[in-house]
Amino acid sequence: MNWYEIWAELWPTLIAIGIILAVVPVVGLYATFVERKLAAAVQDRLGPNRVGPFGLFQAIADGIKIFLKEQIIPSHVHTFIYMLAPCISLMTAMFALAVLPYGPTPVNYFGGLRFIVMPGLDISLLIMFAISSLSAYGIILGGWASNNKYSLYGAIRSCAQFISYEIPMGLSVIGVILVAGSMNIETIVASQGSGDGISGWNLWWQPLALIIFFTSALAETNRLPFDLPECEQELVGGFHTEYGGIKFVLFFLAEYTHVVTVSFLTTLLFFGGWHFPGVPSEVTASYGILALQMLVLLVKVCGVVCFIMLLRWALPRFRFDQLMGLAWKGLIPLAMLNLVFLAVFESLGWHRWPLAVLSVLLFVAAGYWSAWQSQSFVRKASVT
Amino acid sequence: MSTAETPVAQVEKKQKKKTVQWGDDPKIGFVEALYLPAIAGGIATALKHAFFKKRSTAQYPEQKPEMPPNYRGVHRLNRDEEGRVKCVACYMCQTACPANCIEIIAAPAPQDDPKWANRDKFPATFTIDELRCIYCGMCEEACPVDAIELTSIYDLTGMSRQEMIFDKEKLLSVFDETSKAGLDPVRTNRGALGPASEKSMQSTDSPPPPGRGKHG
Amino acid sequence: MSTVFVNDIEVEVGPRDNLIQAARAAGVEIPHYCWHEALSVVASCRMCLVEVGEKKPDGTIAMGPKLVPACQTPAKPGTVVKTETAKVKTGQQMTLEFLLLNHPLDCSICDQAGECYLQDYTYKFGKAQSRLNEPKVQRLDKYHIGEQIALFTDRCVMCTRCVRFTREISGTAELQVVARGSVEEIDVFPNKPCNNKLAGNVVDLCPVGALCSKDFLYKKRVWWLKSQKSVCAGCSTGCSIEVDQNEDHVYRLRPRANPLAQGHFMCDEGRFGFKYVQSTNRLSGPTSKSIATVGVAASAVTKFNGNVAGKLFQPADLAVVDHWPAAIQEAREKIKAAVDSSASSFAAVFSPMMSVEEAYLLASYLKGLNRNVKLLMGPVPVVGEDDCYPKNVNGSAPTAEKTKFTIRAEKCPNRLGVEKVLKHFQGALVPIEDAIQGAHGIQAWYFVGGYATPDDSIGWVSPSIAKATEPAKLLIVQDIFPSVLSKRADIVFAGAAFTERDGTFINHSGLAQAFRAATRPPQASRADGRILNELCLRQGLYNTEFLRKEIASKIPSLESLSVGDLGVHGVELHQLVGAHL
Repeated sequence: MNWYEIWAELWPTLIAIGIILAVVPVVGLYATFVERKLAAAVQDRLGPNRVGPFGLFQAIADGIKIFLKEQIIPSHVHTFIYMLAPCISLMTAMFALAVLPYGPTPVNYFGGLRFIVMPGLDISLLIMFAISSLSAYGIILGGWASNNKYSLYGAIRSCAQFISYEIPMGLSVIGVILVAGSMNIETIVASQGSGDGISGWNLWWQPLALIIFFTSALAETNRLPFDLPECEQELVGGFHTEYGGIKFVLFFLAEYTHVVTVSFLTTLLFFGGWHFPGVPSEVTASYGILALQMLVLLVKVCGVVCFIMLLRWALPRFRFDQLMGLAWKGLIPLAMLNLVFLAVFESLGWHRWPLAVLSVLLFVAAGYWSAWQSQSFVRKASVT
Repeated sequence: MSTAETPVAQVEKKQKKKTVQWGDDPKIGFVEALYLPAIAGGIATALKHAFFKKRSTAQYPEQKPEMPPNYRGVHRLNRDEEGRVKCVACYMCQTACPANCIEIIAAPAPQDDPKWANRDKFPATFTIDELRCIYCGMCEEACPVDAIELTSIYDLTGMSRQEMIFDKEKLLSVFDETSKAGLDPVRTNRGALGPASEKSMQSTDSPPPPGRGKHG
Repeated sequence: MSTVFVNDIEVEVGPRDNLIQAARAAGVEIPHYCWHEALSVVASCRMCLVEVGEKKPDGTIAMGPKLVPACQTPAKPGTVVKTETAKVKTGQQMTLEFLLLNHPLDCSICDQAGECYLQDYTYKFGKAQSRLNEPKVQRLDKYHIGEQIALFTDRCVMCTRCVRFTREISGTAELQVVARGSVEEIDVFPNKPCNNKLAGNVVDLCPVGALCSKDFLYKKRVWWLKSQKSVCAGCSTGCSIEVDQNEDHVYRLRPRANPLAQGHFMCDEGRFGFKYVQSTNRLSGPTSKSIATVGVAASAVTKFNGNVAGKLFQPADLAVVDHWPAAIQEAREKIKAAVDSSASSFAAVFSPMMSVEEAYLLASYLKGLNRNVKLLMGPVPVVGEDDCYPKNVNGSAPTAEKTKFTIRAEKCPNRLGVEKVLKHFQGALVPIEDAIQGAHGIQAWYFVGGYATPDDSIGWVSPSIAKATEPAKLLIVQDIFPSVLSKRADIVFAGAAFTERDGTFINHSGLAQAFRAATRPPQASRADGRILNELCLRQGLYNTEFLRKEIASKIPSLESLSVGDLGVHGVELHQLVGAHL
């Protein structure tokens, strides 16, 4: 490898990193704007509408305001870790984006043009999971360094929640990996391609895995209905009670980056990535088609992001025991059964379509069993 | 029954049976256990509000809300038909005020001024500390001559404490502004004195002045 | 003594009591307007109508057929009074309705509201509604009726208390009832206003808001006022009074009935003469010529020299530095040095405005330093001659036995008390005028003032006193107003007026009465008792009750003070002393 080759490899990477670093904060800011608008719409309000047309500059104004705020470090915190925690949080969140393709990357890279920081990585999904698990550090360190009981409660809750939901999330993704036969996200997306652009999506034979994955992902992002680590009613502000100004924003940005990551993953793994009816599924060198594919992907991601935001206003928050019960008693057994069925089908080489029916049956059976359990428990309790 | 229980004992026995009532977790039915229908319902509600409900936001500074006419906002000191301050400086409001925000200094009405000929006493100063006021409305309840009233002006702001202390002229100007703008507060018992009330002191021939109740 | 039965309660009453007094003894209130203990009975208001009967020796009761006025019915033995029967109640209601026929509903601007017998009795005995359909009779207010009094004619219930007062107590007879029927009203003869020296009493006598004091008019609603039982310091009569104040501002003085002192009334000189108390000219704090902090003290004092009396907020008060400890310390050291160098050239001048306790504290302290210290009696202000009432038709004074009220010429409250203290400590009474004649050789002075000289730049100091004190080496002045002495003084203590102090005054006849602080001394001035208490380095706080007991144990002529608490009427000295002798 000579210098030229290294450079040829380096500069598109730097550009891709630069794009992510530049775009993510803006996306984060505008995600708050979109969320506020959406929240307002659900609550029969208008939302921010004073700064700029339709209030579009509100996000920028908020950013300026929050950057100019006084940096307060409470006297009772562990200063170094207190400062470090939000950085870890954002860093891990951003790092996860490294393996996410935000567009189809041709094999020859188009002379350097590509839409992923780490292209052609065979274990990209594994890296993705490894990195995003690290984000628990940021929250736990932040909660601990704050030297505040509410913060610590939030951090501990977050820790338990992360560990619990990693399991069903991993199990549900294993199915997708089995189907695609690869842990490379780009390959997984490519495997979902089909002639009509829609029938190849993992969604069709993995609906249960999708539900489990999406639920777990919500829990991983600390979003409602699983925002126990920071629920205001119980813990003031949770792990970021003692944070303000730019340090708080870093946490906030990390959360929104997570939302974006999760939306990307959902789209890439289950909704066929850039595949869509009418859009050529093969990766070509044509800029027009490339742009179209990218657009399809971004629209799908935006849809998922909006759905996550909508969920926030549609569902009430879980109680903590319900949260843990859901993971351990509901999602993990279901994910395992689902995986067993899929593995059987894959190893025997059967057609995948019955898997969809099986998934639904499994889900219904779980629901029935759950209801029966609940009622029999109540019956027993009333007898004694 | 030889040992008939007294009614009180019976009641006690009944109560003993159920001393503690335990609440059970609600039973979860099949549909609830599936979660998804409930989630769909929640999303449907959210979407219904997002797309089909009327926005209740008011564009505040440009578009002022219409306050109910019995809203209790900034005070005003009413004028009588001759433009004099209606207040007779009886100190009732100052006495009733739970926040101690009213301060009156009374004086004999100017004797040489024919305009004040039929008045004995008037407030030389009348000061309300609008910051100290809790807007409870006790002052207008206490006022025997309907001189002090709370208007529906709610957006009272100022840059200093001093300018939030309203003197007599300021309070009268609030009356002028609100009455000109047709924002007279609506009070249930305005003008109605107690049952020991008397007829108008002025003259029985002339009709009672406008804005007063049946007792004049 | 006779036994009467009021609502089946058996009470013993005096031979000259009427049924209102009998009922009062039984704890029953019979409403009344026109009757007053000190005035003659006219039974014109008809408010005190009650059912009266007689208990026969055989035990049977025979009630009279008609309601009779309780004020006019003597309490004979065996009289039975019923005030709770339906007949009486109806009578009270009808009387009140009648009295209120033409009464305007202007309680909101009436000064009497809150202490008005029409309000009180209507609430307790009246009915709520009037049946009058015709317009009320309206009459003009009479501001000209007197210099100090205004008549709100249509509030009058024609009880004629005021008319009887001017005829029976002041003897000046200015007020009359003119016209008849529903246009009956009180008036004066043309150009003969009611300006006698007791005229202010008609305001107190008026049971409604018809007669109002121009001085108090619209100043304060009465329910804001807090009363303190005190003694007027205007003259040696020592009228018992109530001091009505609000937020450290005295609004009015009212006479307090005291049969041992003056009776029911007080003179206008005392009633309106308290204004000096809230003069802006008052000394506002301790000052000293030599202490370094005096510059600060003076600036602090000048800062508060503005008119603060009667203002609601005096936030700057909090910023005052307390210079009292330094000033008192300095005074104590200088007195000690002066007495040590030559005791006989140290003189303390006692003012007849001092209370017995204050005189005792100062005298015992100085005599304790050295027996040769001179204690002098300060100037005793005497203006004219004793003014006795009721006047006869020629305006001349009545004979002694017919006198009902006397305004003393001696314009100080406690000459007798201070004299008794000085006599005890020094054996003989030396007036200051005697001491300063010729070569007196006094080098150091401690002056106590307290005279009411608000607008006088010279003050109470006569030229001879001013001249005699000029060569003094030490001059300490304790006073309430600046005078030529206080301007020259080494140390000035700002004392308190009589409404701001606790103590005992002994009046002309030897009646010791307690007066109590109604307000706080203005700005940084202090009650004299407290100043002297600290000057003498006595333990504890200044406590009049305790001091009275100590004085009684030390001074035989004041032994009667041993009761400590003198009660509301005071204690007469000569009686108890006489009993001991």
